[in-house]
Amino acid sequence: MTLRRVFVLSFVAFLAVAGAVAASAFDEAMKAVAAGNHAAALPHFEAALAADPDSLLYATEYRHAVIKASQYDRCIAFFEKLVADHPRSAHAWLNYGYAYVDKIPAAGSITQVILANNSLKQFSQSITLERSWLALYTRGNSYLYWPKVFGRAPLGVTDLEEAVGIARKDAKPKRVYARSFVALGDGYWKTEQAEKARAIWQEGLQRFPGDAQLQARLARQGDELTSYIDDQLDPNKRVDTDLKPLLEGD
Amino acid sequence: MTAPRRAILVVLGLLAEAAAAKPATEAAPVSPAPIRFEEIGEKAGARLIHHTHKFSGKNADVLGMFTSGGAAVAVGDFDGDGDEDLFVTDSDTGRTSHLLRNDFILDGKRTGKLTFTDVTAEAGVGGGNDPGSIVSDAIWFDADNDGRPDLLVARFGTPLLYHNEGNGKFRDVTATSGLNKFGNTIAVIAFDYDNDGRLDLLFGNYFPPVNLIQLPTPHVLPNNLDAADNGGGVTLWRNVTPPGSAEIRFVEVTAEAGLSHDTQWTLDVGHADLNNDGWQDLYLAGDYGTDHLFFNNGRDANGKVTFRDATKDAIGFDTKKGMNVDIADYDRDGWLDVYVTNITDEYMKECNMLWHNNGDRNARGDVTFTDLSRESGTCNTLWGWAAKFGDFDDDGWEDLFAVDGLRSAGKGNFIPVLLEMIITPGIDFTDVNNWPAIRDMSWSGYQKKKLFRNLGDQTFKEVGAAAGVDNDLDGRGIGVADFDNDGLLDFYQTNAGQRSLLYRGTTSPHGHWIELKLQGTQSNRDAIGARVKVRAGAASWIREVNGGNGYSSQSSKRVHVGLGAAAKIDSVEVRWPSGRVESFTVPIDTISTLVEGKGAAK
Repeated sequence: MTLRRVFVLSFVAFLAVAGAVAASAFDEAMKAVAAGNHAAALPHFEAALAADPDSLLYATEYRHAVIKASQYDRCIAFFEKLVADHPRSAHAWLNYGYAYVDKIPAAGSITQVILANNSLKQFSQSITLERSWLALYTRGNSYLYWPKVFGRAPLGVTDLEEAVGIARKDAKPKRVYARSFVALGDGYWKTEQAEKARAIWQEGLQRFPGDAQLQARLARQGDELTSYIDDQLDPNKRVDTDLKPLLEGD
Repeated sequence: MTAPRRAILVVLGLLAEAAAAKPATEAAPVSPAPIRFEEIGEKAGARLIHHTHKFSGKNADVLGMFTSGGAAVAVGDFDGDGDEDLFVTDSDTGRTSHLLRNDFILDGKRTGKLTFTDVTAEAGVGGGNDPGSIVSDAIWFDADNDGRPDLLVARFGTPLLYHNEGNGKFRDVTATSGLNKFGNTIAVIAFDYDNDGRLDLLFGNYFPPVNLIQLPTPHVLPNNLDAADNGGGVTLWRNVTPPGSAEIRFVEVTAEAGLSHDTQWTLDVGHADLNNDGWQDLYLAGDYGTDHLFFNNGRDANGKVTFRDATKDAIGFDTKKGMNVDIADYDRDGWLDVYVTNITDEYMKECNMLWHNNGDRNARGDVTFTDLSRESGTCNTLWGWAAKFGDFDDDGWEDLFAVDGLRSAGKGNFIPVLLEMIITPGIDFTDVNNWPAIRDMSWSGYQKKKLFRNLGDQTFKEVGAAAGVDNDLDGRGIGVADFDNDGLLDFYQTNAGQRSLLYRGTTSPHGHWIELKLQGTQSNRDAIGARVKVRAGAASWIREVNGGNGYSSQSSKRVHVGLGAAAKIDSVEVRWPSGRVESFTVPIDTISTLVEGKGAAK
């Protein structure tokens, strides 16, 4: 057996063991969640993620439990360490950003700004590692929450145009891609490109018939539409950062 | 049955049905007429320009930005001639505040003209903006129960107390009053916290007690912009003036009363009997963090009167920028509610708080409150400052006027500049050197004022533009009073660094009304804290005399009740701070004086 072959086999074995450790910890966490003990689930989720930092499933369930247990700072600190330990994990950086987003509705108005800005930094790091639909949609959508005075909506439009481009090219489009059409239209609306907004929402509806968010926007005009979009982008309302729809596919 | 007779019976039946559905004497809105005001400041000789304090040195710009207030108004009949006068503050070094005498009644005669004469110099009350102090607020209160309102001028510094000598002149009695403690006071109220018949003082302090003019340290700003705990808190001063003496004396009782642990950046304080137990409770509005609610414990076995912090269970902690406290029973359920303004703008969506008093008892036996600002339509007053309840059309329901606007200057917007500082990792917010200069930029400026008409169904409709009060000045205080004794409420609006406005109520037609001047005998002479309950058929109203509720302003102590269509009052009941309960007979559409002990005991 060559040295190289020994190394490869050892690495495969390591991954198998790590995967088993992660799966076992995740099972324990989900048992605690099922029992309604979200706080008790957190260390198990953290063990699972430490073993598999790129797992979107573990991360989304972890953050869900964090929200239930109102342990936002613990979550932020955990992901801060996770990305330090795994700086090449694009999903870990992404979830680090979500950890800040999850805290926003529980924070005061100034702290919300700081949290939102921190989340953008982590999303950008994730995009640097991998220009995925998810990361581009996430950062692009986040920019739209910033009040107009800060001039960040055009940055959101750029990200969302790229995300929609990825969605269009995917041979197996997921329903969750509809969100990027919704958000891009919102971005056009916020940057006073009303015709482009309606066009992208209509394209989205053709691709994803029956999508309620797209229908709601196309059914509104003028001030009513502005008010509706403002309401949707209210930082005091919890942003849906549940990644399970992405994992479930269509 | 003939057709005409059948028609008559149908009509009678409908009338009977209508009568059954609504008591005949219920004070329904009498006029669909819009609320209207006319701005008469210039014409009435009441136009004044406020000047914010100009700091010197390298931190001047930032300190000026943080202290852009001090434009206050206090309403009171200082000369006892039957019309309400004005004391209006100014805040820059060397500038004088102004005492404006209302000449609607002059030399005992009704002139019929709503004009004011500046009598500051004769009265001797214009001072206060000395090189070490900044005038910030003022209230009228009868400190020695001699029947003449005295004047307290609050400052970033030590307060000033002027005794009303009764001849149009005042005497500075600060030095002997005991009010010698430095504080960066932004709000002050007078109320009798221990029901001993003497008015006590509560100071709301914004900055911690450091002299901003001779800055000893740069670390004077909030340590957190949503949960700061390094502010000035409050100080409570007990009035210990011997009965019958003009030697006014106060002693500080903040710690003894249980208020010393509060270190919020207080912007306003309000008092009322919120749990209907006969003792005055406190609501403290905090900038950069939570407000606080304190219930009065009443007198204990040792004769001490203390407060308990009920914030957590009664309202919960918040992270908003509390600016104003006004208190009224807006829904007429017999429990006083609290209105607090916060910041709601493009870049901050806090929403105000209309704390509806649930009139219940929680596990600790305290009443609780539910914020109904969104449901009632009173959530958004932009960058809020003072907001005052008042039945401006006498329809029987208390409306709400709110001023807003922080700084209207050049076209540049300070917010993006400020953002860069806020998101700087590890920034020390307390350090004045870390804050960017605002220069000529605007910050939440040019905002339209809001008038909310109470629709009588727990909701309000914003009618500021139609009423003619939607000016875009940088509002601070609102002094509500019936300056021309016509039964319609007027108000005086102060604006930071800008001209003041006087709005005269002109709504026509309007409902019936009563106004009551309460005079304590055993209770404090101003009857602050007295509870009035008016009944007309099935309708009822409660009011309480307050000693300066609302940011940067004191409204009239005269009780005003709009009666709507009610053409007769069945009873007026007064619960005096002494505990005495009496009823009085009062004619409608008149101003009446009620003296403690002169009514029918209940």
